[in-house]
Amino acid sequence: MSAAPLLEVRNLTTHFHTQDGVVKAVDGVSYNVNRGETIAIVGESGCGKTVSALSILRLIQEPPGKIISGEILFDGLDLLKISKEDMRKTRGAKISMVFQEPLTSLNPVLTIGRQITETLEQHRQMSRSAAQEEAIHLLNLVGIPQPEQRIKDYPHHFSGGMRQRAMIAIAISCQPKLIIADEPTTVVDVTIQAQLLELIRSITRELGTALILITHNLGIVARYAHRVYVMYAGRIVEHGPALEVYHRPAHPYTVGLLASVPRLDEPRKVRLVPIEGQPPDLISPPAGCAFRPRCAHIGELCQPNLPVMFEVSSGHYTTCWMAQKETKPWTKK
Amino acid sequence: MDKEIILEVKNLTKYFPVTSGLIRQRKVAEVKAVDGLSFSIKKGEMLGLVGESGCGKSTVGKCILQLHRPTAGEVLFEGKDLCRLSDRELQPLRQKLQLIFQDPYDSLDPRFTASDIIGEPLRIRGLHRGPDYRKRITELLDIVGLSPYMADRYPHEFSGGQRQRLGIARALSLQPSFIVCDEPISALDVSIQAQIINLLDDLGEEFGIAYLFISHDLAVVRHISDRVAVMYLGKLMELADRDGLYASPLHPYTQALLSAVPIPDPAVEAERPIIVLKGEVPSPLNPPSGCVFYPRCPKSFESCPKVPPQLKETSIGHSVACLLYPTSWPKP
Repeated sequence: MSAAPLLEVRNLTTHFHTQDGVVKAVDGVSYNVNRGETIAIVGESGCGKTVSALSILRLIQEPPGKIISGEILFDGLDLLKISKEDMRKTRGAKISMVFQEPLTSLNPVLTIGRQITETLEQHRQMSRSAAQEEAIHLLNLVGIPQPEQRIKDYPHHFSGGMRQRAMIAIAISCQPKLIIADEPTTVVDVTIQAQLLELIRSITRELGTALILITHNLGIVARYAHRVYVMYAGRIVEHGPALEVYHRPAHPYTVGLLASVPRLDEPRKVRLVPIEGQPPDLISPPAGCAFRPRCAHIGELCQPNLPVMFEVSSGHYTTCWMAQKETKPWTKK
Repeated sequence: MDKEIILEVKNLTKYFPVTSGLIRQRKVAEVKAVDGLSFSIKKGEMLGLVGESGCGKSTVGKCILQLHRPTAGEVLFEGKDLCRLSDRELQPLRQKLQLIFQDPYDSLDPRFTASDIIGEPLRIRGLHRGPDYRKRITELLDIVGLSPYMADRYPHEFSGGQRQRLGIARALSLQPSFIVCDEPISALDVSIQAQIINLLDDLGEEFGIAYLFISHDLAVVRHISDRVAVMYLGKLMELADRDGLYASPLHPYTQALLSAVPIPDPAVEAERPIIVLKGEVPSPLNPPSGCVFYPRCPKSFESCPKVPPQLKETSIGHSVACLLYPTSWPKP
């Protein structure tokens, strides 16, 4: 267990320069992923979770975006320092990505088969015919019926769920060490979501692939992730083993998120408890703790500057001043 | 005991023609978007309508409001069949029937200020003229939890949750008795969703508004609805009061839907087996014979492809369209 993590992101800062000012989309984010592990990055739209993942693959368009600082150590190699050519060899081969919208991320004028064989020919130096065969095998693996015929289809012939299966086939084609899945099931229905996520889980288990699951759905995180990172306004506010974070949340934002969603397994609540207010504007976020304007548990320990990551229990960290108290203000029952 | 029924839908059917040809359009097929739906909504009640995308749930909402004219069936509101009324005859009834849209970004005119948006229905009806107009706007903003000083802002100055509040204020402006909410929270962030759900809940109670709450989020529907209808491929699969449906879902589709919703608790999820349905929703152009769900159903048997099941009451207030269940139940 003490082996070095597969991926280590240190102090990543990615900004976007817009007409209105600098958007601090990712502001000093650190996380790590161990081999074969599934971590989840949760947060609401605009919290920087997608940008942090795109930064790993150096897919941030520049301008307007720019990775200002940080290190991304993948297998000991800093991805921010290697050449463009080396990065291209890493992308798709060692780290691959499953995007949110399969319709816009698949090429509409290439057949599904070609989009899979392209990767195989590029990264695994396969011949056309060998790649063709492998593509059929991959489509079969991700559960597409009659892969010999479907390989000639274009993305618009596929339904949303099948397109996402094809994306997964592309992502696993080179047996990467890490897959980044960015909201992989947000645009599909709940029964298809279950199919796809169970598929991703069985594949990553079988291949020993590590997975970064980016989502806003707390239920998905609970089912599939080993560890969770909660992001708010471009920063990680809490992280730890999934069970710890869900059962003993240590940041008022996590507490609020968990309280605001209705659960099917519990008696129906008379009233939901929302988090009041809106997420902050990332051009001029509040100084110090960004959650302060919405926080229901501001107390005597709160200080104007942001607390450093503070360990509440083994492997469970938070950036809340009040979490340093022996009894947390939100654990009254 | 029984509250009065405010809206009754009988055998509602909507087929959309599929045409071919450039100049002379010929009808080549039909999409059976809604196929023989019947249900009723009581005063002040919230009926949840759940189903996957493309199952026809939004079409049901639009057919009730006569934004789509149904192919067949009746929509009874205040003793009148809305389907038989002309557009002119519908006009006075429309103010009592309102709609809240899914996308708070597309459903507000970007060139209107908040007060223009909320006040448009009032202006069209010629209500609250003069100084009274501004007062009513302020009142509506207050009801949905916005500040009066926001009245002169444009939609882009509002956040998603605030825009949805504007959409709600607009729907409320004519004091409707029935509102169709078409996925009103699915475009919003988790922390904001609860705000809007609570608001809709409060308004229903305060003004006695009946809702048809269309959603694909089963946990939210359970939270907010009094009764729940489950749709699949244009047909009603199950209809029951909330607690009955969630405690003992009868239809295999409902069971699979409920099991596919992950619960935000890793300890629960580690133990919970889920029903993963095979395949995908078939095309409504060419729906399966018999029970439309049978190709994906884990419990289908030889009769399923042959006999289309009818929606039958299996216990008080709990109806299901599935051949697994007896067609009649002993009345007490």
